[in-house]
Amino acid sequence: MTQQTILYNSKVSKVLKNINKVMIGKDEAATLSLVALLAEGHVLLEDVPGVGKTMLVRTIAKSLNCEFKRIQFTPDLLPSDVTGVSIYNPKELEFEFRGGPILGDIVLADEINRTSPKTQSSLLEAMEEMSVTVDGRTIDLKKPFFVMATQNPIEYEGTYPLPEAQLDRFILKLKMGYPSPDQELEMLNRTSKEHPIHRVDAVMNKEELIDVQHQVREVFMDNSVKQYIIELVTGTRSHAAVYLGVSPRGSIALMKAAKAYAFIHDRDYVIPDDIQYLAPFVLAHRIILNSEAKFEGITADKVVLDLLEKIAIPVRREFS
Amino acid sequence: MDRVAHNQQLIYQSIVYICGFLLFWEWLRPLETISDTGSLSIFVIYAAFCFLISMLKVKWWVSMVLKLIGIVFIVDGLFISETIFSGSWFYLLSMHLEFNVEMISNQQWSQMTPLFRSLLFLILLWLMSYLLYYWFVIAKRVFLFILLTFIYLAVLDTFTTYNAEVAIVRTFIISLVAMGISSIMKELNIESIKQLNFKNLTTWFIPIIIVIFFSTFVGFLLPKLDPQWPDPVPFITSTAGHVGFGEGQSPIQKVGYGEDDSQLGGSFIQDETPVFKATVEKSHYWRIESKDMYTGLGWERSSKLVYQEQNDGQIGLDMFDDTLETEDYTAIISFESGSELSKVVYPYGIKEIKGNDQVQYLLDDQTGTIEAEGPEQRGILDNYEIDYSYPSFSVDRLSESSGADPDDIQDLYLQLPNSLPERVRDLAQEIVAEDETRYEKVTSVERYFSRNGYSYSTQDVAIPDQGQDYVDQFLFETKVGYCDNFSTSMVVLLRSLDIPARWVKGFTAGQQIDSDLPLPELSVYQVRNSNAHSWVEVYFPDVGWVPFEPTKGFSSPVDFYEETSSNLEDLENETEQNTEEEPEEETEDQPAPGVEDFETDTAASSGDSDGVMWNWILSAAIFVVLIVLLYSTRYRWMTAFLLQRYKKRHDAKVYQDAYHFLLKVLDHKGFKREQGQTLRDYANYIDKRFESNEMSRFTHHYERFLYRNEIDSDKWGEMTELWESLIKRSLS
Repeated sequence: MTQQTILYNSKVSKVLKNINKVMIGKDEAATLSLVALLAEGHVLLEDVPGVGKTMLVRTIAKSLNCEFKRIQFTPDLLPSDVTGVSIYNPKELEFEFRGGPILGDIVLADEINRTSPKTQSSLLEAMEEMSVTVDGRTIDLKKPFFVMATQNPIEYEGTYPLPEAQLDRFILKLKMGYPSPDQELEMLNRTSKEHPIHRVDAVMNKEELIDVQHQVREVFMDNSVKQYIIELVTGTRSHAAVYLGVSPRGSIALMKAAKAYAFIHDRDYVIPDDIQYLAPFVLAHRIILNSEAKFEGITADKVVLDLLEKIAIPVRREFS
Repeated sequence: MDRVAHNQQLIYQSIVYICGFLLFWEWLRPLETISDTGSLSIFVIYAAFCFLISMLKVKWWVSMVLKLIGIVFIVDGLFISETIFSGSWFYLLSMHLEFNVEMISNQQWSQMTPLFRSLLFLILLWLMSYLLYYWFVIAKRVFLFILLTFIYLAVLDTFTTYNAEVAIVRTFIISLVAMGISSIMKELNIESIKQLNFKNLTTWFIPIIIVIFFSTFVGFLLPKLDPQWPDPVPFITSTAGHVGFGEGQSPIQKVGYGEDDSQLGGSFIQDETPVFKATVEKSHYWRIESKDMYTGLGWERSSKLVYQEQNDGQIGLDMFDDTLETEDYTAIISFESGSELSKVVYPYGIKEIKGNDQVQYLLDDQTGTIEAEGPEQRGILDNYEIDYSYPSFSVDRLSESSGADPDDIQDLYLQLPNSLPERVRDLAQEIVAEDETRYEKVTSVERYFSRNGYSYSTQDVAIPDQGQDYVDQFLFETKVGYCDNFSTSMVVLLRSLDIPARWVKGFTAGQQIDSDLPLPELSVYQVRNSNAHSWVEVYFPDVGWVPFEPTKGFSSPVDFYEETSSNLEDLENETEQNTEEEPEEETEDQPAPGVEDFETDTAASSGDSDGVMWNWILSAAIFVVLIVLLYSTRYRWMTAFLLQRYKKRHDAKVYQDAYHFLLKVLDHKGFKREQGQTLRDYANYIDKRFESNEMSRFTHHYERFLYRNEIDSDKWGEMTELWESLIKRSLS
């Protein structure tokens, strides 16, 4: 369950290198973000402000030469502030659609749980359907489309917790965490003159990214590994500490993520190690614990790790 | 630092291994009691030698050479008188080997020579030393052997004469020490602790020492129940019917005629297997042989049998004076099939045997043993006819018999062990206090048993404890026994009075059965194993050897008559008395028999059954050791086997089997993979332990096969190498 650092796909490794120029000690967050991006999913970042969430997204966007948009969610934000609005053009004598920030390639949805559920759902619909509906018109979103949403830890005041149905739409959820003192010192050194993001060059373009996303779909996953995913997911459903287990959407998410992760490591097939590494990130936020478990201090992460330990890895191929 | 740690490890290992040796010694100790193993100390020394060499961890070929030299010297010292390594020495050895191999291939285990048996035994010791080294030091699994030792001792204690009272306590203490130390070793290993400092050492050892002392002490003090079951052997055998036990020296006894009387005592069960039918005019005892040396435990022969060939069946056995009154008879003996006694059973006064013409009769004059020897081993004594002049003894003549016994008679038949308790002699003096003549003394002793609370029983007959005298125990403590007790006691009592006497074995007359014989004076008697008997012969100068019957419930085998009429009344009294004492079963019912230790269930096989038993034990032991060796080295030979397959065949299944075999070997060596642990993760762990990257490389290929269903067939060579090297690493 340690992160594999053996081989990286050459294209992806360039992006990672770029990120490392800007971010220090954020290998895991960077890799996982790329996993979500390549698996055509979206990331939910849960952390306190100021740990580099925005910087991570911006670096990715810049490396991939994608359009970067940012939405700062506030309690008074309206859905139309996200999707865009039709404005009357007096010259043309008709309504004209002005696209909102959701129409960008890479979108940072900051503090998503500070806004009302109505506004949240406008974003989430776009994420799932790859389209927005404004004034009865449905507008398809361009590809690539990648949302990185951040939320403050739910214990904070003035938050609207995301309903589980919506949490489910993020392929994975991760935490950034504070840098270590050494890393922080290094960060200060790097940013003292000029912010390193200005020195980031694009290493890939949109077309290449889409191409890579297609390649990721082609990564091979053996039936035994799929079986392993199913065992994990069904395991969450019957676990003693769990109130609501992982949905089939979760299985699909885990499969997609594992393929992307294998691809990043320059492998054209998935191994159980991929699953084991990703499972806590992909599955934990889809699990709702029952109250006894919460009371006993069991976390969803713990449940997943527990299952990983218990469920046997496929190590034998059956010969008919 | 490392050196110190290494030394510390070495000390622990040595202690555990020494414990192993001590336990193994417990296995060897009983052999002297339960089998005919002689020179046990030499074997123990050799075992110690093997253990020492294993402990010193010398190169395998050095140790092999040393152990071989050990075997050669022991075999030379014990069995071969030729100069070592001389031509004739080698010739003799090769003769032995050739002979034994032939015997083994013919499955005649009993014919194996002592040299060869000892050789096999030494090899067994050698193997055991290796095995225990493996168990105790390498695998660090001491418990199994400890358990086996306890079972072994318990079984021996229950089923044989071996007394494991002390052995159990010794084993217990040694086992606790061994288990304590080996668990420390294991713990150190698991926790990767290189060495214990003094403080830790004491925290480890003090509990062990306390536990050992405490439990030994408590175990010693606690009250112990007496056996809750009766001796299980007669119980089991009586339930199982006549399932034969083959152990001659143990108290597992069935009644019957046997060779070995060196340890008498113990209960027995009836065995009604027929031995022979005798067609006679007169019922009488059937004699086989006598024994002259009493050891305190039983009877032995003081010298080997000296056979003299008897011409034309004319037996020159001269036990009585020629002037005795005799009557001539003829008896026909026909043996039951399957009971081949190679010794002739004969009545007193035997003159001639008529049987198979090709049979030679060999007589040992001293014991009266007549052995038949013929062209074929079997069936030579099926049927024969005996002409004999049955003596009767004049009481007057016996009473008048006086004069000195010949020197040779005195030398042989006055022997008594030095350990004979004084009270036996005192008792003898007391019994004959009022008698004057030898005949009076003898009859007093003969009758003593019937009047002083002695009883005849085949059940609950004691075996003498260590250091106890067989006769002394019967006379003063148990007072319960069968013919062996009575006859041996009588001989011992007489000898203590300087009257030459000897102990005789044979059969009683048997049971009369109906048969349609043309001559009314003839009758047929069926003699069974249960008729085996022992009695006494007393030497009277000028008369010869006169049989007496001390056993309660049996009548005298020969006739005594009075010549003078004034004594007629006495005679009548005596006869009356005899009739009273005589149980009717003697001729009608199942006779209450005399008993003999019994060796094989076919009552009549003689001599070699010790050997058979011993060889069986040895073969079984070697077999078990081989199995255990095969099992403990299973990974090595399976590796060799799989490697061949792996090299020959390149298919996915072989590959998968090979990988899983490797996992098994690693698991066996303590590198356990949890079921949720990925192969890659496990490989990293193994590589860290082995300080290499082979497992990861090998696993990488396997993953590709497993999760991608692809095999890099051009990499078979590399994979085979990796596999071989990994297996070697993990097995080393």
